[in-house]
Amino acid sequence: MSERTLRIGLVCPYGWDIPGGVQIHIRELAEHFIAQGHSVSVIAPVADDDLITDTWLVNAGRPVPIPFNGSVARVLFGPIASSRVRQWIAQSDFDVLHLHEPGIPSISLLACWAAEGAMVGTFHASTPKMRAIASVSPLIEPMIEKLSARIAVSEMAQATLNNLYGTEAVVIPNGIDCEKFGRAYREAKDKRDSRKNPTRIGFLGRFEETRKGLPLLIEALPKVIKVIPDLELVVAGPGDPEKILARLDPTLARHVKFLGRLSEIEKVDFLASIDLYLAPNTGGESFGIILAEAMASGTPVLASDIPAFVDLLAVGDCGETFTSEDPVALARSIIQLLKNPTRLQQLAENGVDSAIRFDWGSVASQIMSVYEVAMTGQGKVAVGSENASWKKGRDR
Amino acid sequence: MNFILVALVVLIFAWYLSFSASRLDRLHHRVETSWEHLDALLQRRAALALEISHQVDLDPATDLILRQSAYVSREEAIVDRNDAERSLSESLTFLRDSAHNGEVSISVPLLDELTNLTEKINLAIAIHLEGVKSVAKLRSKFIYRLFHLAGKAKLPRIYSFEEDSL
Repeated sequence: MSERTLRIGLVCPYGWDIPGGVQIHIRELAEHFIAQGHSVSVIAPVADDDLITDTWLVNAGRPVPIPFNGSVARVLFGPIASSRVRQWIAQSDFDVLHLHEPGIPSISLLACWAAEGAMVGTFHASTPKMRAIASVSPLIEPMIEKLSARIAVSEMAQATLNNLYGTEAVVIPNGIDCEKFGRAYREAKDKRDSRKNPTRIGFLGRFEETRKGLPLLIEALPKVIKVIPDLELVVAGPGDPEKILARLDPTLARHVKFLGRLSEIEKVDFLASIDLYLAPNTGGESFGIILAEAMASGTPVLASDIPAFVDLLAVGDCGETFTSEDPVALARSIIQLLKNPTRLQQLAENGVDSAIRFDWGSVASQIMSVYEVAMTGQGKVAVGSENASWKKGRDR
Repeated sequence: MNFILVALVVLIFAWYLSFSASRLDRLHHRVETSWEHLDALLQRRAALALEISHQVDLDPATDLILRQSAYVSREEAIVDRNDAERSLSESLTFLRDSAHNGEVSISVPLLDELTNLTEKINLAIAIHLEGVKSVAKLRSKFIYRLFHLAGKAKLPRIYSFEEDSL
């Protein structure tokens, strides 16, 4: 760990009001570094100033919804945002600037453009849509080169980065608070052992998006219920349950329960309360933090065999996979696992052990090491002098 | 006497069927032309977005969104273009507001063309959607389904960028 305390600037490209993987990652990283005594400032697009409760959060402006990669990203661009970011950098006297998703057209890119000095970029997404990005990659490449060091959150994100811009990155996973999940699990375990309840399997995510795989799970459900009649499928996450329930047979609907959007605390309890966590996602996932959280909660995981999940679960035998987009294989795997308590127990124990590598303690210290590399030979982060030159040299 | 009556009824019914089929055909045709008109306008918008990206001193984020969506809009088939058209609608609206507030300077001819084109597109979308909805309504009627009056014609789709723009 670093001896001296640092001034760290974090840039979040997406609207802060609606929490997603990137926002939560940045919040927890900021809190972790603050707890270690560093001075941290986060700049993010925020729709409503009243929602800013943390002193370290700075509003860059109101986000604009732009569709990317199958879902809508709330990003921020334009001259006002540009000058706010510039001002924030000029006033804050940072030792290091940490930009998240600098390849996405939002304020991270603007910060990268404006600043000079020690800069670290973290790439979260893995994008299958190459052609559109390829059309603009000559524009982004010089931006990416300005970063002193690059972090990818998974092998998939690393591969995307390599494909698009031909650069390498250090792979550091997203962080989780293992202690929080483990504690909830131990508390729930006593309760679970003492009562006789139905077998509960869980799903979490924006279930209306097909790529999250709920339709697949629903298709597999009748087969599973035939073998395990007291099965209950608990679905958590934002969306309208009626859209799913309307298409469901009433006898099937009895077995499905919707919890709606969960807070972070509710999520911990949710994971601890289920016997098996299911991730039937059909693609578009780069990391799958929820799998790491389920593992830390001691909840066995069954996931589709998309590359991101296979990579995540391969280490330490901490979950099983089924052939992606195959409801029959999914049903078979669910039955096999639920009928085999020894295997479930084994997966749970392996998961708790394996999840430690995602704990903030380890993840944040790796990130700090990257900061140290980036800061070598650099002074404070400053606003660049010749950066009106976005146009210059771009047009032939 | 009865025979003549039956023949008359059959005749009237046959005429009604043929009338209905040609009515639907006309609607289908109208939707096709209104889509072609809309598509041509969208292509012009994409070209304009690239033009703005070239001429105006933009921040890199805005510039990337414009270029990326304009590229997709011009290169891809419509089924893959929905996101790009939505991005263009959002980012160009944002840009126009910024220009009106004096935050970014876009030359008057470009700004006029943008305003002009946006109005035309909104109008074209309204007309096209009206046609699409009439087709869907007609085709859902019992007699049209029973006698397959739509033939092999595809049911026209509504894309979400069209709904957004209204």
